[in-house]
Amino acid sequence: MKEIDNPIEAPVDQSRTNPLARVFDELVRFCRSRSMFMLHYCTGCGAIELPPAMTSRFDMERLGIQPMVTPRQADILLITGYVSIKTLKRVILTYEQMGSPKYVIGICSCTVNGGMYWQSYATAKQLDQYLPVDLYIAGCMPRPEAVLEGMRKLMDRIRSGEADGWKDYYRRYDWYLGNQQHLFGDDWQTPADVIGEASHYDLAEPGTEGEHTRLLQQCQKPLEPQQTFFQIGGSLEKKGESHE
Amino acid sequence: MRPENYQAISHPPSNEYELNFGPNHPGIEGNYALKVKLHGDVVVAARADGGYLHRGFEKLMEGRLWIQNIALVPRICVPDPVPMEVCYSMAVEALTDMEVPERAQWLRVLQLELSRIAAHLFTFGGHAATTGMYTTMYWGVADRDQVLDLFEEWTGGRVYHIYNIPGGVRRDMPAGFLDRVSRTMDYIESRLPDYDNLFFTNQVFVDRARDTGPMNQQQALEWGVTGPNLRATGLAFDVRRDDPYLVYDQIDFDIPTEAPGDAWARTLVRRQELKQSIHIVRQVVEKLPSVGGPVRTQIPNPLAWNVPAGETYTRVESSKGELGYYVVSDGGDKPHRVHVRGPSSMHAVQVLEQLAVGARLEDVAQIMFSLDACPPEVDR
Repeated sequence: MKEIDNPIEAPVDQSRTNPLARVFDELVRFCRSRSMFMLHYCTGCGAIELPPAMTSRFDMERLGIQPMVTPRQADILLITGYVSIKTLKRVILTYEQMGSPKYVIGICSCTVNGGMYWQSYATAKQLDQYLPVDLYIAGCMPRPEAVLEGMRKLMDRIRSGEADGWKDYYRRYDWYLGNQQHLFGDDWQTPADVIGEASHYDLAEPGTEGEHTRLLQQCQKPLEPQQTFFQIGGSLEKKGESHE
Repeated sequence: MRPENYQAISHPPSNEYELNFGPNHPGIEGNYALKVKLHGDVVVAARADGGYLHRGFEKLMEGRLWIQNIALVPRICVPDPVPMEVCYSMAVEALTDMEVPERAQWLRVLQLELSRIAAHLFTFGGHAATTGMYTTMYWGVADRDQVLDLFEEWTGGRVYHIYNIPGGVRRDMPAGFLDRVSRTMDYIESRLPDYDNLFFTNQVFVDRARDTGPMNQQQALEWGVTGPNLRATGLAFDVRRDDPYLVYDQIDFDIPTEAPGDAWARTLVRRQELKQSIHIVRQVVEKLPSVGGPVRTQIPNPLAWNVPAGETYTRVESSKGELGYYVVSDGGDKPHRVHVRGPSSMHAVQVLEQLAVGARLEDVAQIMFSLDACPPEVDR
């Protein structure tokens, strides 16, 4: 696995010389920063401070931040706390289903470095090796005020064009995929066509494809009818894919 | 996956189909999944699919010092962390034959009951949200914050307060704190009629929760159900009364029970427990000024504290049910083996799998919330 530095891109696309285009870019970024729909996926203990932040007392909705229940409707993926390896698969699946532009916030120490569970065999220690994280809110666990402050910070970053982790995922997909394969095994695959999306957004770069994507294409199998979780006849024996 | 690789997914020619309920689902309590097999919208079979929150607590505890584990245990159950600390501390005290000062015992009771109030208010919120009554959730969370404010002032932490340690509690409460506890209790008690009007006697809730997920007393005993879920089947079993710990034998309280054992009865038991907890807190507030003295026993150097060899099982009544710690020491500075008897493991796995069968899909979330299972405690 080779290390690539995370470059912060210039916020304005230099190829667009029309000054009006820049005005629209800024307007679009402003609107995006003021309507943040966050996915209602609570991965760990940090989620317990989200209801206070969302409800009467701190009231996140007055800032235009609202929980959404499906990934297709959401802009922000909140990773609240420790991510076990089994959860991380579902988190990546969810992230790839979200429409771009999309942002990831890592809450709690566990997403930064594993936190208290640095010894644990089941915890994915560093989230930004597997997903591009736009903002970390550290603490075990951060208070609702800290969550709100983090949200405001993300607003500023979206508005100034710095929150472009989703672009980074397309540009360096091979690196992220390599880390995912390192954790989940070489036959790891998701139904999303990230490389196709990267070329759709004109973000396919040398880091998008590489040895790991070649391995993915070798191992990729077409979608099969789902293996049944229940045996016919009512017995609750599990068949098919094994779970960690 | 490339579009050319997509292919139509064929379903067997039957009315039965499978659905993944969770882990990312608003009707599931936390990061937990239930696979359900449906015929129409009626559940034919259900199977819990846990492991999303697994961290290996019991193994991690074997690698840490006795005192370090105090910081680890409250993470096992996030909405109700105090019983974890108290129960683990009691286990260590039992192994070392340590006496806990009386004042510390009263302070622990106060902590436990405040934690129960906070946990129950939070559960109502979640339960109400599954039936579409979001106002109850907003109120419940906001009122829970009043209790969290007390905790914050007392211990410094809103949710995790590493306060109960082997030998007692860390420090005494701040000046004038008992007045604030009384005021908060008055406030929460004044809110209870509002909750009754809004939620507990609401016809929408009563109609949906009546006869949803019924469980009789014998089933409950066979499945190892404890806590409010057991008391909702009519059996008045409570560790606080039947195996008193701390100073619960000096406190007067009732054990509310309900007979039907359905989702409505389980919620109603919690509602009555709120009143009982407020009653207990009032007694502690009354009694505490006359109980003076130190709040902790001096423990040896925690970095080289060798707890005598032996094994013990201690249990407390958490808001979910009987919580137990089975701790084995080999005489070293770390536990040899720790096993947590979490009440939610039974509620969320075997009970939920059984009760969901025959329910309609929209009631599965309600059954889970009425069982008040705590996913991190299931997986540990």
